[in-house]
Amino acid sequence: MESVYVWLEATSLSTWLRESPSLWAFPFVLILHTVGLAFFVGANVAWDVRVLGFSVGIPLESLRRYFLVMWIGFWVNAFSGVLLLLAYPTKALTNPLFYAKLALIAFGVVLALRIRREVDQFGGTDAPSLARTLAAVSLACWVAVIFAGRLLAYTCTRLTVDFPC
Amino acid sequence: MLNQLLHSIEVYLRHTPQGEFLRTAMWGWPIFESLHFLGMSLLLGTVGVFDLRLLGFARRIPIAALHRLIPIGISGFVINMVTGICFISATPDQYLFNKAFYWKVTFITIAGINVMIFYARTFRRLLEAPPDSPPPPGARLAGGVSLLAWIGVMSAGRLLTFFRP
Repeated sequence: MESVYVWLEATSLSTWLRESPSLWAFPFVLILHTVGLAFFVGANVAWDVRVLGFSVGIPLESLRRYFLVMWIGFWVNAFSGVLLLLAYPTKALTNPLFYAKLALIAFGVVLALRIRREVDQFGGTDAPSLARTLAAVSLACWVAVIFAGRLLAYTCTRLTVDFPC
Repeated sequence: MLNQLLHSIEVYLRHTPQGEFLRTAMWGWPIFESLHFLGMSLLLGTVGVFDLRLLGFARRIPIAALHRLIPIGISGFVINMVTGICFISATPDQYLFNKAFYWKVTFITIAGINVMIFYARTFRRLLEAPPDSPPPPGARLAGGVSLLAWIGVMSAGRLLTFFRP
């Protein structure tokens, strides 16, 4: 892996992201990742809350619209996340918490799709009970994703190949 | 004169109990940061989606129903005011002498004035309008200003680190 880190950090995109003083380099990618997070996690949380039985006036079929916001947020963050990873590959890939964060996100997305399928099949005004249980798990999952992401900055051991955190 | 005022505010904040707490508590800062991101997601997932509805997206979702999610957004805002005041109290110099902080305050103020105008002038007429009708210009304006202001708040917040004194 060490040679992969060395190679990645030497690429011109990685170097530019990490070292450019421009606000359009690293700071802009961070902003994208934050705004994407707010819409991605925010829409998921709002939807989970609806499935749990709050604000039942929102038709469950309109879930699709929420999914559009979620997916836009998801792809903005997949894109900006890859750039952040490229900027500091050693920092992320040597931190076990980074893999936990990715696993939690995957789990959260699978839960969202599963909840949608439940609601599509059995949905009336009230979401089916399995969907409710999954929505509660989903809420906890997104809180965990945010904590994992934020704590990455405090648990890293290596910033780059040559520098400790 | 202004600098003197800022310095006395800095000294005052630094010695508040919440400031001392956050500066010294183990893991206090990362946990409060995570809560700040969570509050942000609650706000954008509800208020941000409501703004999109005001702009004319997802017209099948009744405005009144979507509006019932707003208390979740307000609770997110309260979480962020509390954690935000703790951050400023812990290291006031990092904020009071940082131009990104003043951008952030400006955007929050714009969002605040916008929401007051919205509730004073637009909201009631909006509830009386027939469902599915295209939103009036006032509602679109309120939704657009709100969305841009909150994206501005998040962007300025992210830029704080890059404009440290």
